[in-house]
Amino acid sequence: MSSEVWTEKYRPHTFEEIFGQEEVVKRVKNLTNSLNIPHLLLAGPAGTGKSSMAIVLVKELYGEKWKDNYLELNASDERGIDVVRQKVKDFARTKSFGKVPFKVIFLDEADALTKEAQQALRRTMENFSSNCRFVLSCNYISKLIDPIQSRCVVLRFRLLDKKDVEKVITRIAEQEKIELTPDGLNELYEACEGDCRRAINLLQVTTSVSRKITKEIIETILGKAKPKDIHAVLNYALAGNFKSARDKLLDIMLKESISGIDVIKNIQKEVWNLDIDPVLKVRLTEKTGEIEFRIVEGSDEFIQLEALLAYFVLVGKGKE
Amino acid sequence: MLCDKYKPLCFADIKGQEDSVIKIKVFMKNFPIKKSIILHGPAGTGKTSLAYALAKEMNAEIIEINASDLRDREQMKKIIGSASQQGSLFAKNKVLLIDEVDGITKDDRGGLMELLILIDKTSFPIIITANDIWNKKFAPLRQKSELIEMKDIDYRDIFNLIKDVAKKEQMNSSDEALKILAIKANGDIRAALNDLQTITEGTNVDSIDERDRELSIFNILRIIFQDITRNDILELLDKTNIDLDEITLWIEENIPNVYKKEELYDAFNALSKADIFNKRIIRQQYWRFLTYRNMLLSAGISVAKKQGRLGFIKYTKPTRILKIWIIKQKNIYKKSISQKYAYHCHISIKTAMKEFPFIKQIIISNDKIQKELKLEQDEILYLKE
Repeated sequence: MSSEVWTEKYRPHTFEEIFGQEEVVKRVKNLTNSLNIPHLLLAGPAGTGKSSMAIVLVKELYGEKWKDNYLELNASDERGIDVVRQKVKDFARTKSFGKVPFKVIFLDEADALTKEAQQALRRTMENFSSNCRFVLSCNYISKLIDPIQSRCVVLRFRLLDKKDVEKVITRIAEQEKIELTPDGLNELYEACEGDCRRAINLLQVTTSVSRKITKEIIETILGKAKPKDIHAVLNYALAGNFKSARDKLLDIMLKESISGIDVIKNIQKEVWNLDIDPVLKVRLTEKTGEIEFRIVEGSDEFIQLEALLAYFVLVGKGKE
Repeated sequence: MLCDKYKPLCFADIKGQEDSVIKIKVFMKNFPIKKSIILHGPAGTGKTSLAYALAKEMNAEIIEINASDLRDREQMKKIIGSASQQGSLFAKNKVLLIDEVDGITKDDRGGLMELLILIDKTSFPIIITANDIWNKKFAPLRQKSELIEMKDIDYRDIFNLIKDVAKKEQMNSSDEALKILAIKANGDIRAALNDLQTITEGTNVDSIDERDRELSIFNILRIIFQDITRNDILELLDKTNIDLDEITLWIEENIPNVYKKEELYDAFNALSKADIFNKRIIRQQYWRFLTYRNMLLSAGISVAKKQGRLGFIKYTKPTRILKIWIIKQKNIYKKSISQKYAYHCHISIKTAMKEFPFIKQIIISNDKIQKELKLEQDEILYLKE
């Protein structure tokens, strides 16, 4: 059954469909053919094909029966190592189906595990190595403890460059019969920053609005996702309306679930778009920096943001 | 002061402690089998008065040493020691009173030891009073002495006494008011007399605070936001059991209700700094920082005002935590949808939550995806909202 979510629908099924990682593909292919697979560590930025590689690998190994021999866990969701261990044990207890003498466990985002959990994982990898192979993925290899690194063959995924992303996107556009303008294609690449999954998602969202993909449409879509209301919050404060400013701010933060640091970044950018004297812009930006420092140091980020709004009220000299 | 004027002079004057009076009479009869007696119990139950009444009944001179005196070995020897040996010039008898023995501190070096020696040597009775005698350091003292526990005085006894005093002072106060006053004293007869004095000066009995009652959040807010900064403001937050985090939320909510402009900014600046000290306490477990957090929350907010404010200000309840809770309830759907999407598309729930605006768009645009992810009706409604 094919998925309607494009990141799944167009997920690579074979090694040949994984773009931009020729070196890694060549090595994994050789390992698969020999059936002698060590533990693997797939390292690299988001959206470069790590999960796809793991899935292609098990499909090549087990064919139709791949789902019986494959367990996928996400380390950043499975908080406690106990959960991981329990699931791993249950899965590893039974023998693999077919000609391959082991099963595969894919542990995604392994660098999200705590040091203690990694120590426990290291033992688990040893205890079950007779009938299980671990494939780990991570963004930053330095966040994994040495003993885990040394038990794995490390495969580095590089950031996709423009021609790789374009290849993926153009292929989807052809099959979905979407009209793709050159500047639209360029904008997709710029916005996704080498993250192929993000590029495909953005393409699908944009298509739900228009079947002709242009730079302008993508820009509107991206703009929607940004909390533009920060501008309104600052204007309330400058006009002296502290309570409205703080209610609006809390509303935005809760509804969009943005952190205090994200808010302060937006404020820092928005200050320059305000209709005020540049001298004030400098003073407000300096204070914004001070408050950003206090958010890092303090415990309640909203109180810190309120202090900043109170300063905007003071500088704005608005009505009583 | 009424509590001085109507101090009990003899055993008959002592109200509500009849048992204790009998016990002290027995002690005197048996003297010198035990030479010292400890009267212990809460404040205002008549410990010191009982000692004075005893002296009066015996027609004895009273020699007293209390917490206001230095009570080290030398002083104890000089004042009590000398009195315990020689006969008095004017009276036949003497009573030695060691008031508030639990107030003997580290500075009164050797005082307690000397007292034990004096008890052995004395030819006059020694009366010792204390609020709490069960500290380990008093064990030898307890062994040598008779013990009398003075209980809280029943409010009816207090009522009878203050009614009597009120009559003598020619005050017009209703029995009802005096009864309320007696109950509010919580067994402390001295407090009742002090409070009685304030109604003679024209106050309403309802305004009398219950003894030992803690400050309510509204009292605290009024003192911080409205009163001219008082010298005892630093102790303000010690007088309540309300958690500092909760007080912070109340202050945060109400600053804009009272302060404007410079005041508003100065107050939030103080609150912001208090918050930083709070994090430092948590992070470093260095509790000295609590002093600074405390000061910023009380004095820091208080001095932000340019002038005091009389009259009634309506303080509002903090709502931020409630709002967060409501949104969290709604976010349950966001999370459950993210979870389904994440498992389906081989990403973490965290990543799905982060990219939710995109994911939401994609799911809404296509009914088949909603079926594919096995979304519930509630979840679909949440997306379309």
